[in-house]
Amino acid sequence: MLRRSVFVRGVGAYTPLGATWPETVAQLAAGATAIRPITRFDATGFPCTVAAAIDAPFPDEDRRLPYTRIAAREAWETARIRVDPARLGVFLGAESGRCQWATALGLAGAGRGPSGTFDHERFGREAPQFARRIDASVISPAAVATALAIEYGARGPVETVSLACASGSAAIVEAARAIRLGECDVALCGGVGADADPLMLAGFGLLGILSPRGVSCPFDAHRDGFIIGEGAAMLVLSAERGDASVELAGIGRSLDAHHLTAPEPDGDGAARAMIAALRDAGQPEIGYVQAHGTSTPLNDRIEVAAIKRALGAAVDRAHVSSSKGALGHWVAGAGALGALYAWEAVHAGLVLPTAGLTNPDPACDVPHVIGRAIAKEVDAALANAFAFGGANSCLVLRRAG
Amino acid sequence: MTRAVAIAHAAAVSAFGVGATGLGHALAEGAVLRGIPPEAPLANSRARKMMSRAAYLAARCLGDLVRELGWADGREQIGYFLGVGASGGSLDELMALLDESLVDGAFSLERFGTRGLAACNPLLAFQLMNNFTLCHGAILEGLGGPNSAVFSRGAGTVAALAEAVHAVRSGDCERAIAGGADAPTHPATIAELAREGLVARGLVAADAAALLALVPCPLPDHAATLVEGCAIASGRARSVIEAVDEAVDRTGIDRLAQVEVVVIAPWGPPASDALRSWVAARFPAATVVSTAALGESLAASAALAVIAGMDLIADPERSGHGGPRRALVLTLGVDGDPGAVVLSRGAA
Repeated sequence: MLRRSVFVRGVGAYTPLGATWPETVAQLAAGATAIRPITRFDATGFPCTVAAAIDAPFPDEDRRLPYTRIAAREAWETARIRVDPARLGVFLGAESGRCQWATALGLAGAGRGPSGTFDHERFGREAPQFARRIDASVISPAAVATALAIEYGARGPVETVSLACASGSAAIVEAARAIRLGECDVALCGGVGADADPLMLAGFGLLGILSPRGVSCPFDAHRDGFIIGEGAAMLVLSAERGDASVELAGIGRSLDAHHLTAPEPDGDGAARAMIAALRDAGQPEIGYVQAHGTSTPLNDRIEVAAIKRALGAAVDRAHVSSSKGALGHWVAGAGALGALYAWEAVHAGLVLPTAGLTNPDPACDVPHVIGRAIAKEVDAALANAFAFGGANSCLVLRRAG
Repeated sequence: MTRAVAIAHAAAVSAFGVGATGLGHALAEGAVLRGIPPEAPLANSRARKMMSRAAYLAARCLGDLVRELGWADGREQIGYFLGVGASGGSLDELMALLDESLVDGAFSLERFGTRGLAACNPLLAFQLMNNFTLCHGAILEGLGGPNSAVFSRGAGTVAALAEAVHAVRSGDCERAIAGGADAPTHPATIAELAREGLVARGLVAADAAALLALVPCPLPDHAATLVEGCAIASGRARSVIEAVDEAVDRTGIDRLAQVEVVVIAPWGPPASDALRSWVAARFPAATVVSTAALGESLAASAALAVIAGMDLIADPERSGHGGPRRALVLTLGVDGDPGAVVLSRGAA
């Protein structure tokens, strides 16, 4: 049986640089960055006090759903597609949402025993009054995909992938797999990150992986960590080409099986995922690589080595850039944003730059896109996403033939 | 390339104890369960400090599985697909962080930034991220193949299993491990389940992990347990009957008349009643076995049910020569989405 092709029928994004993908692209192409001091809460004393946050006035409780709704609506409207609800699937990369601070603190305090340690019995007595204030249907990782499924009437498969920084890319992989296997004909897929909040700033800060200088500059000699960003990126994939110009041609995944935060020193896991995606796509000539490019010293260097290993000599004919210089690290949404960068390169011949990159590290010597976007005909693009814990997910998008 | 996919082995840590063999028969016979065993040290004891309870259970189960299979080589090619729940960190750690963040009894974000963080174990983040339920075990055992961590309240684990089956069937990997792990007895999860009214409606939380090892099946093999099909369906805005019908239909198996055993994994009494009604209507002659006695393990329940189904059809000595050869596994988790898995013994 021939494998069904998967076409990108529509894209949408809600980012700190724009309420739509074209608005965002216009800013990105000019080299803009969304990284600014955090104003949503007092970040005094935190290891990093900047983020690429969305300042629009959504309720503070959980911003994943409004971000995703806006991006999904744009993707759906640009797709102009009709589908039997039973043949529509929803696949989303997302981590847990947030309840209000006061509620979380009350819940945690409910279990405080006399010695200061956690007391289960006391928690059982005191917790319900706080638990009643938490809408679990909102903060669950699955809440966003479920809400989208209801909104679009989808009765096909609905999945939430929680694979940290590879979640968005892996959700797109799942969607492509489902279409290839005939489990659905159309998939609304992508990822969302809404982590510019005290808990994640604290968590990542404790790990020492945020930029102390507050600068995101992937592949730069002075890079020293990443900056949290937020937004949603969504795609509509379909088994029917319609007027699509881009095909999702290759998917590949691997695990480093090495370390909780550090990549394999030789980039073997990342390279295996890239090679798997390239093989799945039939080894097209890659004109652009949207790197995971977090701006951490180790990851960028190892990713470049892995890209060289996967592409071989062809890397000299490709351009490489990372979204994280301009938009920060969207965590569960990062891989989906990367897919949109790759789509833009193939669809419009516009290769977006790595904001913040001014002085490339000699250890990251690939053809970078510095300053502004470049125009280039790209037949195929590779988008990388690598997660804490070592999960790697790669996509190949190419011109629909 | 498409190949038949067999379950080579299974491992579990659940209210049945440690192990998978005999799980289905124990449930069918109403045997007294041993209960969830105490934690045993991992080979890498330092790793436990960074793990949530669910990650520990998954890692322990995974270690048992690969050791019992003797899968020592080529682990970098083994796929790993897991249904995972919301990971829960140590509340003692969280409280230490909060204690240092109080000013005059009130929480201060500034104090949180300046002193709270310093009081907290920097490894707390590794307990909190959902994907680490998968990644800890993968790192310890060196699994490097295709993978996914699907958030699951039931159906997500069947989706993870479906992915693993596809990965083996299509040749993406020669061996894959799939299942689920969850720790719903974590106080935050219990509070959430209570808030949703599920505890009052009969849900009894139980920690568990359950994993299946999948391989291509050399044909013919009359003893192999095959995964013939697995699928999920949406339970939104329609009856359980319709939703289960669709899930079973999506498995693509056209010989369901031969189903002799149905294993159901319902999250509580209402779901159990619904699934039993479905079975009574569609397979009135089938034997029904429920995983309810194991308690509700959320992301692990569906995998436990598959192991039970495997046990009931894959043990010719206990089931007799003419014993059941095909089992249908139905899951209905707290998300309301059903999953269906069709198992059979023997490949012609």
